Amino acid sequence: MRVIRHRGRIALAMMLSATLAAATACAGDDTKSDGGADQKITLNVDDFGTFGYQDLYKQYEAQHPNIKINERNVPKLDDYTPRLQQWIAAGAGAGDVVAIEEGIMVKFKSQPDKFVDLKKYGASSLQGNFIPWKWEGGMSPDGSKLIGLGTDVGSIGLCYRSDLFKKAGLPTDRDAVTKLWPTWDDFIATGKKFTGKVGGDTKFIDSPETYYNTILMQEAGKGSNQTYFDQSNKFVMESNPAVKAAWDETVKMSQAGLANGVQFLSDQWSQALKKDAFATAPCPAWMLGLIKEFGGSGQSGKWDVAGIPGGGGSWGGSWLAVPSQSKHPKEAADLAKFLTSPQGQIGAFKAANNLPSSPQALNDAAVKAFSNPYFNNAPVGKIYGPAATSLKPVYLGADNQEVRQAVEADIRAIAQGKLSPGSGWSKAVSDAKKASGTG
Amino acid sequence: MKAVIRRRTHRAVAGSARLWQASPLTYVVLIFGVVLSAFPLYWMFVVATRTNAVVGAVPPPFIAGQHLGANLRRLFDNEQAHFAKALVNSAIASAVVAFSTVFFSSLAGFAFAKLRFRGRNALLLLIVGTMMVPVQMGIIPLYMVMVHVHWTGKLQAVIVPFLVTGFGVFMMRQYAGQAVPDELIEAARVDGASTFRIFWSVVLPALRPAASVLALFTFMQTWNDFLWPRAVLNPDNPTVQVSLALLNSAYFNDYTLMFAGTVVATVPLAIVFVVFGRQIIGGIMDGAVKA
Amino acid sequence: MALDVRPAPGGARVAPPPQRRRWRTRLSRLDVSLSPYLYISPFYLLFLVFGLFPLGYTFWVSLNHWEIIGGHEYIGLQNYSRLLTDDQFWNAVGNTFGMFLLATVPQLLLALFLANALNRKMRAPTLFRMGVLLPLVTSIAAVAIVFTQIFGRDYGMANWFLHFFGVHKIDWQANKWSAWLAVATMVDWRWTGYNSLIFLAGMQAIPRSLYEAAAIDGATRIRQFWSVTVPLLRPTIIFVTIISTIGGLQLFTEPLMFNSGYMNGGSLRQSQTVMMYMYENAFQRFQYGYGSAVAWMLFLLILVFSLLNFLIIRRLSRGAT
Repeated sequence: MRVIRHRGRIALAMMLSATLAAATACAGDDTKSDGGADQKITLNVDDFGTFGYQDLYKQYEAQHPNIKINERNVPKLDDYTPRLQQWIAAGAGAGDVVAIEEGIMVKFKSQPDKFVDLKKYGASSLQGNFIPWKWEGGMSPDGSKLIGLGTDVGSIGLCYRSDLFKKAGLPTDRDAVTKLWPTWDDFIATGKKFTGKVGGDTKFIDSPETYYNTILMQEAGKGSNQTYFDQSNKFVMESNPAVKAAWDETVKMSQAGLANGVQFLSDQWSQALKKDAFATAPCPAWMLGLIKEFGGSGQSGKWDVAGIPGGGGSWGGSWLAVPSQSKHPKEAADLAKFLTSPQGQIGAFKAANNLPSSPQALNDAAVKAFSNPYFNNAPVGKIYGPAATSLKPVYLGADNQEVRQAVEADIRAIAQGKLSPGSGWSKAVSDAKKASGTG
Repeated sequence: MKAVIRRRTHRAVAGSARLWQASPLTYVVLIFGVVLSAFPLYWMFVVATRTNAVVGAVPPPFIAGQHLGANLRRLFDNEQAHFAKALVNSAIASAVVAFSTVFFSSLAGFAFAKLRFRGRNALLLLIVGTMMVPVQMGIIPLYMVMVHVHWTGKLQAVIVPFLVTGFGVFMMRQYAGQAVPDELIEAARVDGASTFRIFWSVVLPALRPAASVLALFTFMQTWNDFLWPRAVLNPDNPTVQVSLALLNSAYFNDYTLMFAGTVVATVPLAIVFVVFGRQIIGGIMDGAVKA
Repeated sequence: MALDVRPAPGGARVAPPPQRRRWRTRLSRLDVSLSPYLYISPFYLLFLVFGLFPLGYTFWVSLNHWEIIGGHEYIGLQNYSRLLTDDQFWNAVGNTFGMFLLATVPQLLLALFLANALNRKMRAPTLFRMGVLLPLVTSIAAVAIVFTQIFGRDYGMANWFLHFFGVHKIDWQANKWSAWLAVATMVDWRWTGYNSLIFLAGMQAIPRSLYEAAAIDGATRIRQFWSVTVPLLRPTIIFVTIISTIGGLQLFTEPLMFNSGYMNGGSLRQSQTVMMYMYENAFQRFQYGYGSAVAWMLFLLILVFSLLNFLIIRRLSRGAT
């Protein structure tokens, strides 16, 4: 008898867990009903970080009643790109519209057949809507196909905590702060002053790798326009002075004790942000949205934006593409066109401060006048906008992301005090070679 | 009556002589062990009932708050985590794999224990051999296969490869050998029952105790599987573990959301555990003696 | 042991018409000879398709330069020779064994100790057994999330607790020893109770008379534990160790979540396991060939180590008798 009761109970418990799961699922699902409508097309949009598209989706859905947009956001770029590569290579799984970041664009452009030629869907006439190099960046290597439409560009400012600067006896006004650091060495000197006054758990900079990437892109933009690879995808890290310069400058920061060794976009980073554990962060335009999101309302008004040491630069920025595996290429292309149109870029700028790659949007009065209350009403439109049109693109090789991650790990190890600056460089080079499969 | 029987079997297992009496020290040790086992679970629950103000709180919170409902709502409303879908997926996958493993393992176990056929011993040895092979080693080609048959991102990719295991077959074979009297099968055969009929109405009922333990363990194992689901499923159609990992890497700043997820992921197994604690313990201890 | 299942000739029942009967006999004979194969075939089919084939194919892939895009090219054992000089691979091997030892040795000792305590006459034995088994109810991913917070550098509970003893903040992820310790703690928390129940089962099979004899000889409880319990538990200990080896060498989820989902296991790959290195190569660098070579090396390591384990433990516990 006991035996039979067992079986009944086991089946019962499994059913129970299954129904429980299903029941909670339904409870959670009832907010988004997609039943009832006639032949609705769902377009999946894959992106990462903060693209600021929510309001634009609503607007688009209102104008196109047959379209439902489903954004599948993966917050970390480093999680996002391997997945996207896997989907594109597998021929299944990718969204109808996918965001491609500059660091991976070259790799995807080498497989033009995996993407829809947007020219076939009426994108040819849109060239004037983009900064020339951004438009060029979306073309296939032979220039015959248009794979991606530009979204944003990553011109760089420097975010700082004015309240902490005040505590350290430093100026807090953004123009005065900018004057503190014409060069990166001046920046480090300021950091030392800051650390002498404030100290404790509060460090001057956030993650060493964010500074490293900023300086690298800046240096590369000044000189050869390349980082780890040259235009023929040859590994040139050792001979490229830009990489070494960025490396040395970042090591100096770590040696001066300025760095909080937290990994960018880790839980420690977000905790450090909330707990006032760093006073500055390099701010490509897209970073403003991240700081606001992870800092939360408690940090509102404490941040401000100043100029970056060492002149302008660009880090980040993306394109939207339509994989050829999409079942609705036309509708997807139309959505991509809408999101990257001047009006779409203005919307994304207002929502997440992603700096437009469209001259019309950059010249828009609302963009120019836009100030961000979270950053103490910093006039971000005025700070970032003018630099955007003069930016020069930096060529990032096909294996850029893998190499970048390997070098970042070593940079962080130096900040953690686990790797000596002396042997660090040769280790970084050998790790980079390994990551690109050439070592 | 039942209690007497249970006691007697317990004593028979416990050995011929009487056990030592537990000293107070034994209780202290055991209570300490249980507290250590329970504490992380308790703390998981505590954080899930708080607000994000607990991040970095010194000292950390040790008493439950009142925000469990709100955190759960946020968890299920979060469109990126797909937690509700993950729960359904995990429930389906675990239940299907558990039932199928029990069915096919019982069938094969019955064949190995009670039917006579050519090559039986060699084939059984082969099964024992497969138990030593870590199947996870093959995930790269397995993934390529899934790409080929267009199963990537689909639930069947985490179900079909695991419908029956060597361990299950072996376990059911051991049990069938001792639990099913040969005479019973013989009698059914004389009555003209087909082999499957014999399996269904004579053998399967006798296998129930072992079958339920196997079902429980398979359910828990599938529920917990991570490496393969992470490789083959997409974030918008995840299992609970994949969704938890996504929460962990994406919503690290929303501490209580993450912990609410861990609590919900634990509840179904906790139900199984509370209802079947005794059988699970019996299963673990039986398995040990036989192996 | 097995039963002769051929149908008895000439059934005692009312005979059906001759033709139908012959047909039925033939069917029944077919049923008897084919059923066994039919019943065991699902396992073999499934194992062939989803177990053996991928494993074999992994070997073939490992002999190629095989990337996600483009074709593949046969390169013989080059991936393997590259592996042998790859310090990242050996680092992962070292980490895997380090964490495995750091987790398994204390775990088995603790489990033995706990089992010994459970093997007493006491009130509510089931309650205590369930109590130590409690960690099993939660999933590994959940365990990893909770423990990662406990081992946080700035606001973790472990550092908060240690500061009462004057220990300065430990950056658990940054040091090799501390990362290993944190991961080993997760593994131990989950499995110690489970293993103690297995040991308990083994202990209950030991005849009490042996202890009585030892007691008459004047052996203390502790002495009895080491010279009666442990040697007689040998088969159970071997079993548990081999199971722990197979599981421990495939360590993946805990160190991955501990490093916020990054496959590299920390800035200097402090806690990257072989499984993570395989995954990193296959699913992040998309070098399928190289990743497959890592998989095969791990497979061989598991085989060799299980065997080694078996021999060592047999020798050790024999020495104790």
